[in-house]
Amino acid sequence: MSNSSKKLTLDKKQNLTGWIFLAPGALLIFFMSFVPMFRALILSFKSGTGAALDWCGISNYTRMFQDSVFIQSIKNTFFYLIIQVPIMLIFALILASILNNKDLRFKGLFRTMIFLPCATSLVAYAVIFRSLFANNGIINLILVKLGILSQPYAFLTNTWSARIVIIIALLWRWTGYNMVFYLSALQNIEYSVYEAAKIDGASPIQTFFKITVPLLKPTILLTAIMSTNGTLQLFDESVNLTDGGPANASITMSHYIYNISFKYVPKFGYAAAMSFLILILVAILAFLQMKVGDKRD
Amino acid sequence: MTKGKKFLMYLFLIIVSFISVFPLYWMISAATNKSAEVISGRLIPGTYFVENFKNLVASQNISRALGNSFKYAIILTLISLVVSSLAGYGFEIFHDKAKDFVMSIILLAMMVPFVATMIPLFQMFSKAGWLNTTIGFMLPTISTPFLIMMFRQSARSFPHDIMEAARIDGLSEIRIFFQMFIPTMRSTYAAAMTITFMNAWNSYLWPKVIMTDSNSQTMPMVVANLTQGYVTDYGMLMLAVLICTLPTAIVFFCLQNAFAEGITGAVK
Amino acid sequence: MKKKVLSLLLVGAMLGATLTGCGGDSNSSSTADNSSSNASTADTTPAADTSTDAPAADTSAGAQSLTVWCWDPAFNMNAMYEAEKVYQQDHPDFTLNVVETPWEDVQTKLTTAATSGDLSTLPDIFLMQDNAFQKNVISFPDAVVDLTNSGVDFSQFAAGKVAYSVIDGKNYGVPFDNGAVIGCYRTDYLEQAGLTVDDFTDITFDEYIENGKKVLEATGKPLISMQAGECDLIMMMMQSAGSSLFNEDGSANIVGNETLKIVMETYKKMKDEGVLIEVNSWDEYVGSLVSGDVAGTINGCWIMASIQTAEDQSGNWAVTNMPSLVGASGATNYSNNGGSSWAVSANCQDTALAFDFLASTFAGSTELYDNILSSGALATWAPAGDSDAYSVPNDFFGGDAVSAKIVEFSTKVPSNITGVYYYEGRDAVATAITNYINGADLESEMQGAADTVNFNMQ
Repeated sequence: MSNSSKKLTLDKKQNLTGWIFLAPGALLIFFMSFVPMFRALILSFKSGTGAALDWCGISNYTRMFQDSVFIQSIKNTFFYLIIQVPIMLIFALILASILNNKDLRFKGLFRTMIFLPCATSLVAYAVIFRSLFANNGIINLILVKLGILSQPYAFLTNTWSARIVIIIALLWRWTGYNMVFYLSALQNIEYSVYEAAKIDGASPIQTFFKITVPLLKPTILLTAIMSTNGTLQLFDESVNLTDGGPANASITMSHYIYNISFKYVPKFGYAAAMSFLILILVAILAFLQMKVGDKRD
Repeated sequence: MTKGKKFLMYLFLIIVSFISVFPLYWMISAATNKSAEVISGRLIPGTYFVENFKNLVASQNISRALGNSFKYAIILTLISLVVSSLAGYGFEIFHDKAKDFVMSIILLAMMVPFVATMIPLFQMFSKAGWLNTTIGFMLPTISTPFLIMMFRQSARSFPHDIMEAARIDGLSEIRIFFQMFIPTMRSTYAAAMTITFMNAWNSYLWPKVIMTDSNSQTMPMVVANLTQGYVTDYGMLMLAVLICTLPTAIVFFCLQNAFAEGITGAVK
Repeated sequence: MKKKVLSLLLVGAMLGATLTGCGGDSNSSSTADNSSSNASTADTTPAADTSTDAPAADTSAGAQSLTVWCWDPAFNMNAMYEAEKVYQQDHPDFTLNVVETPWEDVQTKLTTAATSGDLSTLPDIFLMQDNAFQKNVISFPDAVVDLTNSGVDFSQFAAGKVAYSVIDGKNYGVPFDNGAVIGCYRTDYLEQAGLTVDDFTDITFDEYIENGKKVLEATGKPLISMQAGECDLIMMMMQSAGSSLFNEDGSANIVGNETLKIVMETYKKMKDEGVLIEVNSWDEYVGSLVSGDVAGTINGCWIMASIQTAEDQSGNWAVTNMPSLVGASGATNYSNNGGSSWAVSANCQDTALAFDFLASTFAGSTELYDNILSSGALATWAPAGDSDAYSVPNDFFGGDAVSAKIVEFSTKVPSNITGVYYYEGRDAVATAITNYINGADLESEMQGAADTVNFNMQ
């Protein structure tokens, strides 16, 4: 009896220690994110231009569904999400497992080079991508020389090619970034596990799917949630590569919210309402991903 | 592995690396060319580097911007790593239903676009008198759901038996964290440090809104300044961008061995 | 391993400290005139503030100092520095603190501060894009100061220019740079087609397209390049006939706007004939000018600065007015694109000083305008245009006195209505023109643009 009560106090003590450990981080997030979020929520029930705002009920929320540009931006964003995130994560996983190979030479060099895109400043890479895909840019030059195109194609000003350029840009920029997480997680897998698999005659592909992927599950979950979130809030590429064009064919939700807040006559209530729609969408997707991936074995 | 497979693997890596590095090469070569040459798509390095550098130094206070960027990025990274890893560790090692619930709530915090919370945050900071202060600049990004989640996920592989052994040896929880968790998880710390440094180094919108003094200009602000005139000097711009990119690349290069050796085995 | 990481951290921290140190050193001389940041913030700042540059002493007390935001070191910032020098001749104690702030950041900071109700982060004077004046003054009437009775004589500025910053009959901006539209042409290309710049002066767009075909045939170069999805040229063509996307009462003037219809048809015709080529981005547009891919352009006169970076083309360029619309009532050969004006923020503690500074520099000193002419800043202040400096020939543009020419153009620009919803209207029309070029029906696209604008105005 006395033993179990002692255990109980130990549990209690540990429980308390846990709360103390997470308190600074959690409190900061509470004050820096949730308090402003709550204020933004209140804002989303108000309307008016500039600083003069009045209560308007849920009209900001109903307005969204009549806003053809916003609906277009939702479609675009989901297109990016569905195509880009899976390709990027699979590609990052493959690169990480290749670079984790013990026998590989020049590993450090390869790793740094593949990481570099996400360290490159946005301004530079926007200028570079625009010049690569320009009418007289390298991509057109090569395609015309190879005879694939008869004359230069305006990649950034045609609906589908503009979207695809954005996806290519995202893949280029963020694959190395995700690879970093996989590499750091791979280190926690004992090498002996791989040795054993090798002795058992497992092929590299079997090893990848039977050992690497299951053991990296927590990290894959992390990167999947991060990428989903990042893509649903996508802003930079839409603004800097295509400026949302042609005719809003590549504009993202965040880009439109930014326009409503700072470029157009500001409607902060409406911008906040649209932001909460993004929150709900990301939250649902993250919840589904957590359901699938966040089980402690 | 057969020779052929090995060759294919290297070929694959070389192609991927080339695609990754090409823009950096372009940046370097652009930094050595005149603006008109850059814009007409010249890819070969030129002889205009010194002029671009002189123009850049004459038009922008580069040393001040670099100093500010280093100062903010380093302080922010250090504080952020401690706060976030403590929280991630707390969430995972002492996990129960309540803490898992709090964690999922915290994840919500990163899902609202910053554009929406910026104005309420500005109002709060204005009331607190934190406009134009370093603390106002740093506070919103010290603790991020992303880092907490990252440490929480990686703490999952922290072996419980070692911890139990340490507890029996009478080590306090805080010492277990500092003496056992941090060294064991150095790969995660190195990755987190790289990412946090990069984010802090590149942060733009919030610092710009809250800091109005020209003495607090950082490198990304210098780069933004250069793109805003009626005339853009692309050679000079690319040089500034290059200077702005290198620190993150160097930090990554220095830290990568800590998180990517892969064989040494974390727990001995 | 732990030691390794720790030592790396230390090295990093030391590196940071060193660099911060030298940043401070090299700069210590210029930090004296610090911004007039709100003094009350210092009291409440917690001790945890680790900033090394914290003691930003409030120097505004007693001393005559103003803080200014603008964004181009070679252009409007340079103009402010020159204005400081001019003003210091009579006010030796006066200092100016110019903070380089890109326009988009000026807008973001203005919006954030005004919406939050705390204007303390704003400077005394800031530069505002002319197109954003109506929107900002009507959205944030408390953020800017009425300049009507500030002592600035607005009648001496070009009327079309002043109109941008007049809201409800009150003046909110002191005009700065000139955005008069010019037609720029490569004379060497024109020559190959048997044309001269005179064939492009005082012409209509019909003649322009005919000339363009000749140039295309002779040189293979289009006459003009434009950024796809941006409707700069559309807006310039509209204003050249004094037409706007909005009516006097603020309602949208898109459906049934005959001028807009003519503009869109003319634009499409230029594109279809190959006279106009659309490019993907601003960089590509400037690139097409400096690398000789096109035979000319039509834009605000500030584009000359970009053209002149192609030093090897000196002497091969000429400047004249733009073509006029055919069939539009009130069509002229003159228009405006871009330009900005100085606004005084409500955070300005010493408005008398700000007023006097602006009145005796940008609205009262030919010396200032002479000094900044070399940087390409052309006046819209009439007395400056009479100065000798404006009749100096420019060798890059074939020895023509372009400055005087442009000042003359600017006096003939028809004024139009910017409208509070200018950017909404502009984006909607850009969408319409993109779809129209790709084959959509013009009437229904104009209806669609009007619907978008009306939706945004609700």
